[in-house]
Amino acid sequence: MNKFAQLAADITKLWTKYGTAYLSGIENTLILALVGTVIGCLIGFVCGILNTIPRRPNDHPLKKFILSLIRVIIRIYVEVFRGTPMVLQAVFLFYGLPYFTDNAVKFTSVWAAAIVVVSINTGAYMAESVRGGIISVDPGQTEGAMAIGMTHVQTMTSVILPQALRNIMPQIGNNFIINVKDTSVMFIIGFPDFFAAHRATVGASYLYFPSATVEMVGYLTMTLIASFLLRWVEKKMDGSGNYELVQEDQLTMTAGTYRHPDRGTPFDERSKEYENSEKEAE
Amino acid sequence: MADQILQINHLSKSFGSHEVLKDIDFTVSQGDVISIIGASGSGKSTLLRCINLLETPTSGEILYHGKNVLQRGTNPAEYRAHVGMVFQSFNLFNNMSVLENCLVGQIKVLKRDKTEARDHAMHYLDKVGMTPYINARPRQISGGQKQRVAIARAMAMDPEVLLFDEPTSALDPEMVGEVLTVMKNLAESGMTMLVVTHEMAFARDVSKRVVYMNGGVICEQGSPEELFKNPRKQETIDFLSRFRG
Repeated sequence: MNKFAQLAADITKLWTKYGTAYLSGIENTLILALVGTVIGCLIGFVCGILNTIPRRPNDHPLKKFILSLIRVIIRIYVEVFRGTPMVLQAVFLFYGLPYFTDNAVKFTSVWAAAIVVVSINTGAYMAESVRGGIISVDPGQTEGAMAIGMTHVQTMTSVILPQALRNIMPQIGNNFIINVKDTSVMFIIGFPDFFAAHRATVGASYLYFPSATVEMVGYLTMTLIASFLLRWVEKKMDGSGNYELVQEDQLTMTAGTYRHPDRGTPFDERSKEYENSEKEAE
Repeated sequence: MADQILQINHLSKSFGSHEVLKDIDFTVSQGDVISIIGASGSGKSTLLRCINLLETPTSGEILYHGKNVLQRGTNPAEYRAHVGMVFQSFNLFNNMSVLENCLVGQIKVLKRDKTEARDHAMHYLDKVGMTPYINARPRQISGGQKQRVAIARAMAMDPEVLLFDEPTSALDPEMVGEVLTVMKNLAESGMTMLVVTHEMAFARDVSKRVVYMNGGVICEQGSPEELFKNPRKQETIDFLSRFRG
């Protein structure tokens, strides 16, 4: 019990002295995670859409070639960025660019570099999710849209993508939560996120474990709130379970209806009975 | 003929080495109500899907007002806007309400303004008896109701021809009637219709021409009286006898 009292005292001490540093760290982490996830999703959607443009046998050879080329490029992008750690990507981009170009090309702000790295990373994961989301929409939806004369782009934007977006909402939420936590590696390029606040505080106060506790609780709080908000958004997207009737439907059959209005007419599905009733009439 | 909408010449379609349609010749004129009957796998649905370019025919031509739509350079989307289609599985847009389903094509494809599109949609939703449900989502209504909405959606585009691909085959028996009633009313209003169906009563009583397909070819066609009372080919007699029981 003694230890817990000690911990509480240390945390209070840390918070009164460095509270603003932690809070601005939380703010930066959330902004980076949110912006990175949004841009990453856009990249993912573009890649997913490009990946699912149908190739038809009677297309122009040039079109077929370009479509294949696009697919190869996206494949390479996805494999490279999904297959390497984000820490190293940040290092490669932030320190690698000036190294290779003799300082001609470099990121002047860590914000820009961090956003680029997180976005590209999220995009690589989202590209596959979006492709899956698009494929999982019933092909009948595409046919229905094409049958009323919609072009590929119209079909995508009005019919397929809204449904694909709903399908991949859990994936987007996943990526956002992963980004909240994984942006902690951005301390490597000096990004002032929540974890960087921890390193700075510890350097000054030597209260390593109490600060780590603050971090743990802080990250968990952020991700829990994010999960909660995402569930709420998903519910909103599903829309109401009810709808209002404007008046009564004359043609529909409900359970317990005794006799179908078409019975004994040419539209009786049991045409034998219809024929019999015809015979009786004769 | 001036009122000829579609003329299909020597149409063939193969899936790999399997030839589904063999050298089909076929015309659709203004006001025709044509039923296509035949056993499963005889190529009825494929013919309909080829006419709407959902399948690319292997060879042959489809003339729409004399212009071959299979030529490179014709815009399939533009052509499909004039040739409506109603599917066996309804294919209503799940992310939209009943009313939005009937609006989206008018607004995006025909570029109608919202009030005009809404009036138009409500007109056809009224004809199929679905105005009470304009705010419902497809998942909230029954199969028969979905199919009626699908018909209204197709009609709202003011198509010249409406293709029906087994519109009642996915329905519970008690819902077949409501859809057939709507189709009968459409036929009586002068709509040009091409209906792939297993509903012999509809083929006999509503359509003006019946086409019997067997093994990827048009085996026999003629008026309902001719085909149902005096079929000439043995295949047709065998097929019809299975329905009479």
